[in-house]
Amino acid sequence: MGEPVINITNLSKFYGKARGIEHINLEINEGEIFGFIGPNGAGKSTTIRILMNMIFPTSGSAKIMGMDVIRETKQIKSQIGYIPSDANAYSSMNVHEFLAYCIRFYKVPEGEKRISELSRLFELDLTRNIEDLSLGNRKKVSIVQSMLHNPKLLILDEPTTGLDPLMQSVFFELLRSENRRGMTIFFSSHILSEVQMLCKRVAIIKEGKIIQLEDIDNLRRKQLKKVTIEFSDHLNNQNFAIPGIESVVTGPANLITCMYSGNINELVAFLSANKILNLIIEEPSLDEIFLHYYKN
Amino acid sequence: MNRNLFLMEIKRNSLSLIIWMTIITLLISVTMSFYGTFMENQSKIAGMLTIVPKGALQFKGISNFNDLLSVLGFYAANNVIYMMVLGSIFAIVLSSNILLKEEYNKTAEYLLTRPVTRSEIFTSKLAVIYLNVFLLNFVTSLAGFICMELVKKGVFSIGAFLILSVYTLLLNILFASAGLFLSTLIKRGKPITTFSIGIVLIMYFIFTLSKITESASKLGYLSPFRYARVDAFNPDYSLDIWHLAYFIGISLLLTGISYRIYLRKDIYT
Repeated sequence: MGEPVINITNLSKFYGKARGIEHINLEINEGEIFGFIGPNGAGKSTTIRILMNMIFPTSGSAKIMGMDVIRETKQIKSQIGYIPSDANAYSSMNVHEFLAYCIRFYKVPEGEKRISELSRLFELDLTRNIEDLSLGNRKKVSIVQSMLHNPKLLILDEPTTGLDPLMQSVFFELLRSENRRGMTIFFSSHILSEVQMLCKRVAIIKEGKIIQLEDIDNLRRKQLKKVTIEFSDHLNNQNFAIPGIESVVTGPANLITCMYSGNINELVAFLSANKILNLIIEEPSLDEIFLHYYKN
Repeated sequence: MNRNLFLMEIKRNSLSLIIWMTIITLLISVTMSFYGTFMENQSKIAGMLTIVPKGALQFKGISNFNDLLSVLGFYAANNVIYMMVLGSIFAIVLSSNILLKEEYNKTAEYLLTRPVTRSEIFTSKLAVIYLNVFLLNFVTSLAGFICMELVKKGVFSIGAFLILSVYTLLLNILFASAGLFLSTLIKRGKPITTFSIGIVLIMYFIFTLSKITESASKLGYLSPFRYARVDAFNPDYSLDIWHLAYFIGISLLLTGISYRIYLRKDIYT
């Protein structure tokens, strides 16, 4: 395997004493669709802004396609596309003026044709003023501008905000098709379901640190089970404290829901000593896995 | 410099430039249209001016009433100082916003993610500032020249007029550099238009105060307006080498520091 498309080494960013990100290490390979998930304020946008050379790291380094993100930013940016989380384009322009302005930064043969193709795909009216567009339409403009120059790497920061489900599906299909043609995609989001739909590998970021880096399938296959038990009698939470039980939520009518990561036989042995009315052991959703990691 | 960015910025600022050019040209034209009436009533006006404190005339570069009788003296006393103030406001508003607006309008995420270096962004925007300030000065000075040609009652020194125009241009560029410098100091971009205009007005106020109040005369050294000579009717009127060095030196220094800061500035949207 060649050099990673994105190679982040020990990257930290502090805003005075406040933490942005701390000792981030990440490698994203060519042709990957990589998910970067975490809630607001976890450090996703800080990481991306360092990659885009909008802010400077306090320490550590980052390379894209083997080039340093600070020293060789111009060469890097000629090969990447970026969708920001806030879709604010130049409000005084219409859609076509903005896209034409964007494409002139690159050497794109048949640029007008590319503008037309992508705008048609996203049903964009090129004559509308950007300031008159809805959030969803501004997001579409943002998507189109990121792909005009056929980038090798696409960096997406919360790209689906404001998009209706139909357009989300068009967008995801486009991403899949570009990925099949070799495009690497770095997909940052706090919505796990969309990461689950697209990504092969995922990093979970919490309070500026990567707490989990995993294949999405492995994440699902972890021993973690979601267990729902309905006891016939009231059960004290403390009596339920067996190794591997976490995130216990007590519901009505003696109902307990928890995550279990221990030996399933031990759980069964414990339960057999109690009178239970109902037992459900199931695969947790990715959202539940995510919350589990966060709470811990 | 990036041509695409430069042309886009020129287009973005063109309406504002046209409005400022129109306003200043109209002010000059209206004021100069009074020159004929002024000359016809000079004895009455001379009488009225005797009750005006001397310092109030001195800040316009006038040492006695006769200075106003030449068309260049009239132009310098009544227009240039306003061209300097208004031109400087235009320059500082333009320069303090040209980089910062990308942050507070949240368009920096589009600009900084293009294949263009910080250095190219800075130089392209700087070129736009210089071009706008130069065009404003050229058009307004030309308007002043045409007005003087139309209303003059004798000859006036074109050399002195050109020196006056150069002083106005240099002052405007100094304030443009100050605006650029201030904008690079602002973290998490917010507009500083009001603050910038305030700086020009305070500097003009300090200059005026230093001219009309003996005890505040030393304060005038703080104001760039002091170094832009407007007494074009004086026979020894010339481009003072030290004043020239002051304007060019401060402008280059502020621009250089702004450049260094911008290259390493964290840009948020």
